[in-house]
Amino acid sequence: MTAEFSTPQMSRRQLLKLASAAGLFAAVGVSATACAGPTGLPGKDTLTLALNRSLVSLDNKLNQFDAAVTVQRSVREGLTAIGPDIAPIPMLAESMKMTAPTRWTVKLREGITYSDGRKVKPKDVATALEMYSKVQGSFVASFFPEFPTVTEVDERNFHLDSKGPIPILDALMALILISPAEDNKAEELQTGVGTGPYVVQSFDRGAGTYTLVKNEKYWGEPAPVRQVNVRFLPEESSRVIALRSGEVDVIDSISPNSMEQLQGLPGVTIETASSLRLNQIFYNFRKPKSHPLSDAKVRQALSYAVDGQALVHDVLIDTVEQAQGVTPTSLTGFAKTGDYVYDPGKAKSMLADLGVDDLKLKIIWETGEFPSDTAIMEALVQMFGDIGVKTELQQFEPGGNILQWRQGKEGDWDLLGNGFSSPTGLAITMLQGMYAGTSEKEKTRDTYQGYVIPSVERKIVRAASEVDQAKRTAYLKDAQQAVWDTWPCAWAFTPKSILARRDRVQNLELSAANAYPLARVGLES
Amino acid sequence: MLTYLPKRIGQGLLTVFLTVSVVFLLIRMAPGDPAASFAGPLATSEQLAAVREQFGLDKPLFEQYIIFIGQLFTGHLGQSYSFQAPAVQVVMDRLPYTLTLATSSILLAAVVAIPLGMWMARRSDTDAELGVNVLTIAGQSMPDFWTGIMLLTGFSVIIPLFPASGFTTWGGLVLPTITVAILQVALISRMVKREMVNNFNAPYLNIARSRGVSERVLTWRYALGNAGIPVFTALGTRFAAMLNGVVVVEVVFGWPGVGSLIVRALETRDYPLIQATVLITALLAVAVQLLIDLAYPLLDPRVRLGKAASA
Repeated sequence: MTAEFSTPQMSRRQLLKLASAAGLFAAVGVSATACAGPTGLPGKDTLTLALNRSLVSLDNKLNQFDAAVTVQRSVREGLTAIGPDIAPIPMLAESMKMTAPTRWTVKLREGITYSDGRKVKPKDVATALEMYSKVQGSFVASFFPEFPTVTEVDERNFHLDSKGPIPILDALMALILISPAEDNKAEELQTGVGTGPYVVQSFDRGAGTYTLVKNEKYWGEPAPVRQVNVRFLPEESSRVIALRSGEVDVIDSISPNSMEQLQGLPGVTIETASSLRLNQIFYNFRKPKSHPLSDAKVRQALSYAVDGQALVHDVLIDTVEQAQGVTPTSLTGFAKTGDYVYDPGKAKSMLADLGVDDLKLKIIWETGEFPSDTAIMEALVQMFGDIGVKTELQQFEPGGNILQWRQGKEGDWDLLGNGFSSPTGLAITMLQGMYAGTSEKEKTRDTYQGYVIPSVERKIVRAASEVDQAKRTAYLKDAQQAVWDTWPCAWAFTPKSILARRDRVQNLELSAANAYPLARVGLES
Repeated sequence: MLTYLPKRIGQGLLTVFLTVSVVFLLIRMAPGDPAASFAGPLATSEQLAAVREQFGLDKPLFEQYIIFIGQLFTGHLGQSYSFQAPAVQVVMDRLPYTLTLATSSILLAAVVAIPLGMWMARRSDTDAELGVNVLTIAGQSMPDFWTGIMLLTGFSVIIPLFPASGFTTWGGLVLPTITVAILQVALISRMVKREMVNNFNAPYLNIARSRGVSERVLTWRYALGNAGIPVFTALGTRFAAMLNGVVVVEVVFGWPGVGSLIVRALETRDYPLIQATVLITALLAVAVQLLIDLAYPLLDPRVRLGKAASA
């Protein structure tokens, strides 16, 4: 007996015909639409930027990465900004002066307004400081020794008062983006207005795209470009292809390999600048006293085994500079304290003199911490091997538990591949973040890889609180020399900021902050 | 049908529930700390503890799970840590991109693969078929990443016909669609060929042929009709898999889909975002699977849902 047939509402033949027709329509239709439509090339008056990370918002309370600074500051501005020579320059503030050890006096520019016409008021600054201090996990808050309070004098003038002296407050205030007080919240602002040369016309959080248009009420010189499109392209090879095709005008944060690919291509120019970041092969300072690495002489000896010039030329294709101290040369307050010298013979003899033999090292790092990270680590294994030191590598994927390892909670290690930036452009910020560890902080493992040297910490604190510029410079130099003498790194280097642009893009002034003022960027007519 | 549908929906919901529960546990067992990813390398232990408290990660695992179950019923899975927006909303923002790419790819694959498979079946064991077979094997072997980069170089840089990345114009859909479809065409066409050849060799077809049924009817109505169910199932299953995102293609073409979103969520240990992505894609996959099952009677009248075939 055969199975009973049911009566479908649509016959199989009808269904197949329908499906075929729909498929054909979709396939042909898509291609036809594409061929008929534009190919994504930007218009004559439109600048298109491709970022390597998704711009979640145009606020920086929680998220800030180098490339975002350019875009964030084209919409929202601070009282100051870090200028091309890595010194604070006035933005919303006409002037900002230290008038007492614990007081800065600020005068706002006259008639300055947000893009919606509202006036900028001292209250907006007070609210901004309050919101930055309240938000949990703030990137910016960690740089402030304390948040100053605003004492309003009149509509344009106010004081920033603090309990202790903050001689670098003008640089720190560059990190605080000002929004209208009534709109500001203790969270990353997803929308809203600013005072910058551009305003947000539309954004698509899904795609990570922003469309900015010229702010007609901008207080400064009007932006030369009518519209800026910001796109998110995570894959570097895709960014390179998009630039080559002319679909994108500027790509930044590119690797040495991509730079090599793009160099010499017609219509493409590479821009480089120093950077505010120091990448280091940093020693573990939590080693017991009996361990060879707790001896500065052993650390120094190991640094002689590293052929820094070879790493710079052969691995990093001259896209980095070997460190000449404990902070990048571009930072304000940098002092040259020494050079990394390659002398494997000296390394061997020093280790022998110190009675160190059969030394084994373990290097840990997180993927992507710096360009060509794996190649550098493999080269280090070879270099240490040449002086008889066996080295083991352990690589962590982003989001993994490297923090637990760094704090010594998961396992032991000897060297860490790590980077540290100073977004204020000041050497003191880097010194405070890395070398001002105290035994109190070490109780919760909050020091930089266990670096607790009280004499160094005292020198950094002295430099940080000194209000006299000349004295502060001298103290800073002294502190940096003291750090260098402890040999905290086997090797360190400063990567260059690299971007590539189409030749039609004009007046792009890349700074060491890996950012550029969008207000000045124009397009060839 | 009246009992079949509620039963299948119930099974589907149970599958989704078990999936999200397992994912809830697994991501918390994996190494990494969402608070550290959120607050950055400069955060102190005190700040990390405050962030953990803010995210509710300081609570016992069981309590976190109970809260999560409660959230499942309200549809609000919490704020994404990295996007600072409702996690479900972040996924929904990306979903149209994934649906567009998956739909266009599967349609293109079906339109090319079915006729190609039929052609291969009709010309089985000829030189021409062998040549096409080699091409399909090549299509199956080419990594998506390589295919994508080659297409980009060819049709965005050398001959600038299509946008290189993103979905700013409809043209942006073409190259990602072709990249995804190439593998599917290779797989489905070979499957169609195999099914058709089996049917061509089946006794019922010889009987029909001996009764004077035309070759056109034999091919399109008899052989393809019987090959329909496995091919349709394969297309549906592949479509459901694409709804989880085609990560490599999304990355190469800067396609803002769900696949690249979940990679980012995993890197930042963004638990609400991972959970929201898994929930939504699992619901979609189950729904697609259910629709496939419901479509079977249309393709083959002998199939009766919810009843065993009578003897």
